[in-house]
This record gives sequence, structure tokens and C-alpha cells, in this order.
Amino acid sequence: MQKGTMFVVTALLLFGIALPLFAGGDAEEQADGVVELVIPHYKAGQNVGARFFLPQVERFNAAYEGRYRIVIEELPQDGYRDKIKQLAQQDRLPALIEGADHIWFEDVMVANDRVLDLGPWLDEHPEIGSLLIDDAVEYNTQGGKIVSLPFAVVRPIGLFYNETLYEPTQRIGAMTFDEFVASLGDDRIAFMTSENAWTTGLFLTSLIMDEPGGVEMLRAGVVDKVYDYTGPIWLAATTKLQRFLQDHATLNTLGAAYADAANAFMSRNAAVIANGPWMVNDFTPDAADKWSGGFSGEQVRGDIYPGNAAIANVMDYNWWIPVSASEREREAALAFLEFMMQPDELEAFMLAEGGTAPKLDVSPDFLEALAENPILSDLATAVNADTAFSVAVYDVMPNSIANEEFGKQLPKLIDGSFTPAEFLAELTEKAEETRM
Amino acid sequence: MKLDRISQKSLPWVYLFILPSVLVFLIFYLVPIVTVFATSLTHWDGYNAPVFEGLQNYGRLFTRDSFLISLRNLLWWSVIAATLHVGFGVLIAFLFYRRSTGWRAVRAAFMIPNVISAAALAMIYRFLFNNDFGLLNGFIRIFAPNFSVNWLFQSPYAFWAVTLTWLFYAVIVTLIVHAELMSIPTELHEAAHIDGASEFQIAARIDLPLCRYSIGTSVILAITSRIAMYEAVALTTRGGPGDDTMNIPIILVNSITDLNYGFANAAAVVMFLLGILTLLLVNWLFKMNKRGF
Repeated sequence: MQKGTMFVVTALLLFGIALPLFAGGDAEEQADGVVELVIPHYKAGQNVGARFFLPQVERFNAAYEGRYRIVIEELPQDGYRDKIKQLAQQDRLPALIEGADHIWFEDVMVANDRVLDLGPWLDEHPEIGSLLIDDAVEYNTQGGKIVSLPFAVVRPIGLFYNETLYEPTQRIGAMTFDEFVASLGDDRIAFMTSENAWTTGLFLTSLIMDEPGGVEMLRAGVVDKVYDYTGPIWLAATTKLQRFLQDHATLNTLGAAYADAANAFMSRNAAVIANGPWMVNDFTPDAADKWSGGFSGEQVRGDIYPGNAAIANVMDYNWWIPVSASEREREAALAFLEFMMQPDELEAFMLAEGGTAPKLDVSPDFLEALAENPILSDLATAVNADTAFSVAVYDVMPNSIANEEFGKQLPKLIDGSFTPAEFLAELTEKAEETRM
Repeated sequence: MKLDRISQKSLPWVYLFILPSVLVFLIFYLVPIVTVFATSLTHWDGYNAPVFEGLQNYGRLFTRDSFLISLRNLLWWSVIAATLHVGFGVLIAFLFYRRSTGWRAVRAAFMIPNVISAAALAMIYRFLFNNDFGLLNGFIRIFAPNFSVNWLFQSPYAFWAVTLTWLFYAVIVTLIVHAELMSIPTELHEAAHIDGASEFQIAARIDLPLCRYSIGTSVILAITSRIAMYEAVALTTRGGPGDDTMNIPIILVNSITDLNYGFANAAAVVMFLLGILTLLLVNWLFKMNKRGF
């Protein structure tokens, strides 16, 4: 081989190795001067949240045509937060992120000043600040900075039931749990054990809220997290949960993921499912391809949990912007937040996914449209001044307990291999192991 | 040894051509391995500076029930992999080598699962083992109508259900052994035939011993695959029910979820050492550093 050829080959080899080391990062500003934000997000594809979110992004792109454009990169909901953590390690975070694992966000992002303070922006936009819920503002204010956009809308999580299968004698929220069990008869509830066992965890939360001191315990756990589940409140609630799982669970509960639980409900194999108001999207005619077994969205009614309890958590992290975003990216990201917080967008959100905005003077059109949606009306009217609100069990557990262990241990609670006390002892042991 | 003039002259080019491989090894292998070893001795959340804490992570790991169960599961899976899994792959390789009728069709059928991703296979098995509409229970219910087992979510079946997701996918073993079978000199077979040996005797007394290296390599690959097995468990049982199908990679990933990178890296070091131990043990057992023929 000639010297020249050898040199070229070697140079190409070295270039090939070096290229990936220097590559990375998306070109933010396009040739046409438009700032494009590529946002990885789970509210895309078949995800239930996509039905409102994607059109909202399109509305934003249309409103800011020629200036900003948001492109959504689809991620599975299960892996979204892990993906964000990985991107943070690589210092390649997108300019807009929704939510975060509390401990990671506080210990890594906030503690190292890697999150943009939204305070000055909110000061410039008092019309947005005036809509934010006080508890949410307080929670999101850390060290004098507002680390993520506090919530303006609270979405009470309750349950849905199929009135052709289950006819409650009165509003479920007005019943006691004993009355609820009696009224349930042989009807089934769509529980699950895979993923994070979401519908089962919500039901357990409602059972904990029904115990004296349960609501207070859950609320206190948001900040400090709960590592010990062996107390009497957990034991009483889990004992009841085991009975529900053994007597009223759908046949596919063992190993069921969320899609399986939702499918059980939307195929009339389950009369009841615990879930948030965003599920109403699945009950509109647009989602009829998900229905089977004679199910129709018109058969569905919504309510809160027995004992006049609902799950709602405004003490959580919402949309945030990393400081690694460039000036132009920040502008685009803030423009999107501003767009989302417009009253008509908030109303559209509430009509699509339910919820109430306590500080927003809603329009007559909104009230009219809400009245036309019986399920959302059910949920809106189910809540009264005496309704107890609490966070879900997922908000008080360490990450791996909430996302892995809780669902993983449930099969043994269902088949009786674990007593409720053993189940809780196992979870406690696992939770302690996460504390280092 | 003294290099001749031409060799000395081309030495810089030799180094230059080796350089990319050395760089790749340093950047993508050596540095991460050293980092994993070093940070396994620290308390580290993956972002803030690691704090040295000696062998505490290892102490926690070896006193954790789920880790001990993982080791037990790994031991069983390794035994099954080294015997049934490799044995099946070797058997198929010998069948291919004999070129029996229809061997091409069998080869194609045998290879197909290998081109399906682990994630897709896991989903297929979730359906296959489903209690309500799974193929397996559907078949069993022909004979026992009331049969009901949730294979992936019920003790003690989950362990065996997970095992079945990889047990018969021995394509790599088959390819490695088949390649070595093809390299056996035909003179050996001819001589054996002249001596009156049967086909079975040739296979058992000549071919099998001469495939010692490839079978040893297959055993190493099979066991190290079990040490690093993540998808097959994560996408089916996630280590459950309870800890029935727990393994070290699941512990590692869960620890990362909880931002315990130091602990996760201690688990990674154990996996690494188990891999090295496997390598040494199989090398010794199969006498892989001795000449064959």
C-alpha cells in the first residue's frame, strides 16, 4: 500500500472514531429562522394524553408560525422519566420537560441550579400568576425560585363505572365503602398488577383515605416519602384491598397492564375502573375502535371514591425548563407555557381531560360545553366542600417501590401467598433498601 | 528479537492502524469498567460527586434477600443453560451436519426466532402464557377443562415460564458448533468407517470430542447471557411475582431508578466477576487451552 493511501485510510478510521464524540445536539434554529424544539414526550401515539396534547402543539405551531415550532418525539410513558434522567446525565435535556421524579429533581436538578427560575417570567405575566393554585406555587417555590410551572388546574381522580352493569343506589362519593361493596354485588373492578399497577394503586389510595388519619398520612408523605408501610392504616387498607382483589377483580388482573385494565372496562368485563378524568377521551366516539363487547362511551358515568374522597395532587412538578436551553430555546419554551396558560386553552384542556381551575373565571361557553359532557359533569359535581383530597400512594413511595415493587408483589397478595402484613413488610424492606 | 529493516520501517503504520482499536477499547471499555469499579466503592447519585464509603455497597448487596435469590436463580439458569440449552443447540448442529431430509426447512425455522427482538419475543410469550387466552393453557384445557395457571405471575411457575422464553433459542450454539463440525477433516470419518464404526459411534467418539472448543465457547456464551439477562425478565415478570424471577440486572436497573449508582455499580462489578469466573471455570473444565487435533 502506498504511503498516501495508507494515510488517507488511517485518517478516515480516526475520523470515524472521533465523529460520534463531537456529534450531538439538535440544530435548534432552522434555515428559515424558525426555532424548532424537539420534545421527547409520552403524550403521543396511542397514549390517552395525546388526544389533547398533540392538537394543542399544532395550535401552538400555527399561532407561532415562522417563529417557533415544536416537534414531539414519541416515548413510552413508562420510560419517560428515566429517559429524562439519562438525557440530564448527558447534558442533552430538551428545552421543555413535564414532571419529574421528586427526589432526582430536587437532589440533582434543583440542588445544582440546573433548572430555570420561572419567577421573573411569572412576574412579567401576572395574568398567568393569578391563575396558579397557591399550594402548587408554594410547593414549586424552592430557595426563592419557581422551579416548575405550578398547576392552574386540579384534576380530581376518581372512578368510572358502566351504568349498564352497575347501578349504584346513590352517588358513590356519598356511600361508605361497606355500602359500595354491598351495591357492587358480583360486578368486577378493572385492577392490574403490571407496570406500576396504576388502577390498583389508586384504589388502595382511596382505601387508605377511608381510614382515620389516612389522608393526613398521605399528605405528609409527599415531601418526606413513606418508607414504613407496616402501620395500622396501611394494614387495614391493604386487608380490604386483598378482599377486593380476590372477590371483585377482573379475570385478567394478574399480569394486566394499564391497556389490559382499560380493555377490561371497555369490553364490559369490568363494571368499574379507577382512573383520572383524562380517560374520558376513551369514551368519546372518536375512540370507538377501542370498544368491544357492546361497550359504548355513553354507558359510562364518573364519580369520586366512597367516603367522599378524591385523589388530586397539585404538590407536584409540572413543566420546567433546564438552564442548558439556549436563549432562543428558552424563548420558545416560555412561549409554549404562555400559550398553554391562556384561558381558552385551559378551558379546552378541562373539557378534554376534566378538572377545575379554581382561580379561572370560566366562560359561559365552557359551562355550556361542560354540561353536554355527562361524565365530566359527573366529576365536577361529585366534588363538594367536604370532599377529602389526597395524593396517591405513588406520590409518597420511593421510585422503585412505586414503579416496580408494588405491582411486582401484588400477585402474591392476590393468590394469598402473602398476608396483607407480609405484603407490607416486604414493601417496607424493599423501601428501606432504597435509603442509602 | 530484532526486526528486519522493512518491518521496522512499517512499525509506525502498524501502530497507527492499531490506534483506532486501542482508542475504542480505552474510551468505550476500559474507562467505563474502571469507573464502574471505582464508583462501586462510593455513594453516588449519578450526578453529584461520589463519596467514598469503602465496601458498604457490597455489604448491602450480599445481605439483601433479593440478591441472594438472584444468585440462586442465576445458578439454576446457568446449569440449565450449560446443559439443556447448549445440549439442544449441539443436537441441532449435529442434525444439520448430517444433512438429513428436510434439514434446510428445519434450519430456517430454527433461525427465525433469532431475528425477532427480545422485546417482541417477550410480548409473544406474555400472550402464549396468558391464563385466559394463551396458547399453552388453551392446549392444556383440551384435556383438563378447569386448568388455570398464570404462568408468568404465579409461584412457582414463573421461574420456569421465564426459563422457557430462552431455553430453546440456541441458534448461536448451533452456528458455532456447526462451523467446527464442518472443519473436522473428512479423513477421520473415512478411517472410522473403514474400521467399521457406526454413525452414532463417529458422532459420539470423534465429532463430539473434537467440538470441545466450540461447545466450551457456547457454554461460556450461554452462562454469561444468563448473567446479563435483562429483557427476558424485565418485559415479562420484572423479577416477580415477589422475587421469584429476580436477577442481578433487575437489581442494577432498580438501583439506578432510585439514583443509587454506586450500589448499582457494585451489582455490575459482581456481574463482571461472575463472567470472568465463568470464563476461567469453563476454560479449565473443557481444557480449552490444549490442542485438539
